[in-house]
Amino acid sequence: MDMIKANNLIFEYKRHNERGEVESVHRALDNVDLLVEPGEFITILGHNGSGKSTLAKHINALLRPKEGTLFIKGMDANQEENIWPIRQSAGMVFQNPDNQIIATIVEEDVAFGPENLGVPTDEIRERVDQALETVEMTDYSLHSPYKLSGGQKQRIAIAGVLAMRPDCIVLDEPTAMLDPSGRKEVLETVRKLNKEGITIIMITHFMEEAVMADRIHVMVEGRVVMTGTPKEIFSQVDLMKQYGLDVPEVTELAYELKKSGVAISTDILTIEEMVTALCQLR
Amino acid sequence: MSIKIENVSYIYGEGSPFEKRALNDVSLTIEDGEFVGMIGHTGSGKSTLIQQINGLLTPTLGQVYVDGEGIFNTEVKLKDIRQKVGLVFQYPEHQLFEMTIYKDVAFGPTNMGLDQEEVDRRVRWALEIVGIDEEIFEQAPFDLSGGQKRRVAIAGVLAMKPKVLVLDEPTAGLDPQGRDEILAEVTKLHEQLGITVILVSHSMEDIARYVHRVVVMDMGGIRFDGTAKEVFRHVEELEAMGLAVPQTAYLAKALREQGMVIEGDITTVEEARDALLPMLKRLGDVQHD
Repeated sequence: MDMIKANNLIFEYKRHNERGEVESVHRALDNVDLLVEPGEFITILGHNGSGKSTLAKHINALLRPKEGTLFIKGMDANQEENIWPIRQSAGMVFQNPDNQIIATIVEEDVAFGPENLGVPTDEIRERVDQALETVEMTDYSLHSPYKLSGGQKQRIAIAGVLAMRPDCIVLDEPTAMLDPSGRKEVLETVRKLNKEGITIIMITHFMEEAVMADRIHVMVEGRVVMTGTPKEIFSQVDLMKQYGLDVPEVTELAYELKKSGVAISTDILTIEEMVTALCQLR
Repeated sequence: MSIKIENVSYIYGEGSPFEKRALNDVSLTIEDGEFVGMIGHTGSGKSTLIQQINGLLTPTLGQVYVDGEGIFNTEVKLKDIRQKVGLVFQYPEHQLFEMTIYKDVAFGPTNMGLDQEEVDRRVRWALEIVGIDEEIFEQAPFDLSGGQKRRVAIAGVLAMKPKVLVLDEPTAGLDPQGRDEILAEVTKLHEQLGITVILVSHSMEDIARYVHRVVVMDMGGIRFDGTAKEVFRHVEELEAMGLAVPQTAYLAKALREQGMVIEGDITTVEEARDALLPMLKRLGDVQHD
């Protein structure tokens, strides 16, 4: 069964005036089709306001489709009774770690989700311990979350989602506020979760991060305009720039060298690939 | 306008159980018209340091001079200092509060006691610099996209016509185009008006591309201070501090480890291309047309 299946998804934000009449309508999602297989790692790229976060909030049933169909693990997002099961199977991690932490002790924060699901106490203990171990924060279980670094806080937020035993995690720019080491910690955690079989949908503005994914979706004005492997997407340097996006620095370097007449492939995405390609030229 | 930080130490919650020394005997001089980047991991003391520059925090020890004047002398009005040194916080869009974009930007200059004509001139000037069209001046700032909101917030600081502009992570959460636009606007302000700029960033690539001098903070002190090329030579030390170097600098390092001779310091795509092309040309891999 598909993890996520969206067909012709449409969502509109409406602006109301003082009298409650609709003043203007902004179509944030415009006939979006999306298919995500279980265990896939997807990144969504797009400029600010392209509809990425609106799409992410649909996967978690924070927003409901206006038109079109959306199925999460076979559950119809248009059915009221599916909202809670959908939220349990598709967890969400947001950009700002400080806004997601509610308890004064790390393990209590992680326990919040399963407690609300009505999980028995013994099992909560087990889930919390396991989640903290996965994100490598066991040593901090009795600490105050407020004194942790940004990367650590974000890992606690991920542990909180993991404790709900989701099939899929949606991360909306999880590294935007982090320093380089915090970013690395979070990305390593995400990669590990994906290896353990959890479907990952990550929104990011860092092209180097998007390279990790199995597939990339590019959104422009509420529509998915490109879908493909990182190599397929990033080799189209001109098109990406036209969409207000970017490519990893080494990809841009390959593109620049090619323009200057060097016989080099333009689907280079990582430093290692660039080193190999240049060594072959030598 | 020059800034001189002299032997500044800052301790949060001195005498309490939560006492934390955030700055430890820091000295730093920034000359008039410099464009300085500041990097450091979360908690390294960057934000504490920049808050001393416009008097939001008072040093526990040491003195701060703006334009040669000690800002914590009793006769100096901090209000004047804060007009000269404009501070754009992280996520400045969270500080928008007025009913319209125009009013929000006008708030600072109005509070400075300027007449309405001058306020109007400044609001239009500031919004033009950040690329906000006159058509939307009367819209609520909350209806804008994230990138536009941030520009309005920056315009609010620019409208005070500061001589020094301090930006704390102005591009966090922006898409690549928004990032490039804001940094290009800052560069333009620096070049055309000679404003001194201090840019705090977690993006090593942006630092390499835009600033002339990089100050690296770690554990409440300054660890490196030099051009981007000089600073990004210290790959291991920077990584040990939770930082990184631009991707092209890692590439140059990896190529050298493979025995290739790469001349000069590489920190941007252009530098990497210019260093690699002559070498590849010599090898005859470049087709001549």
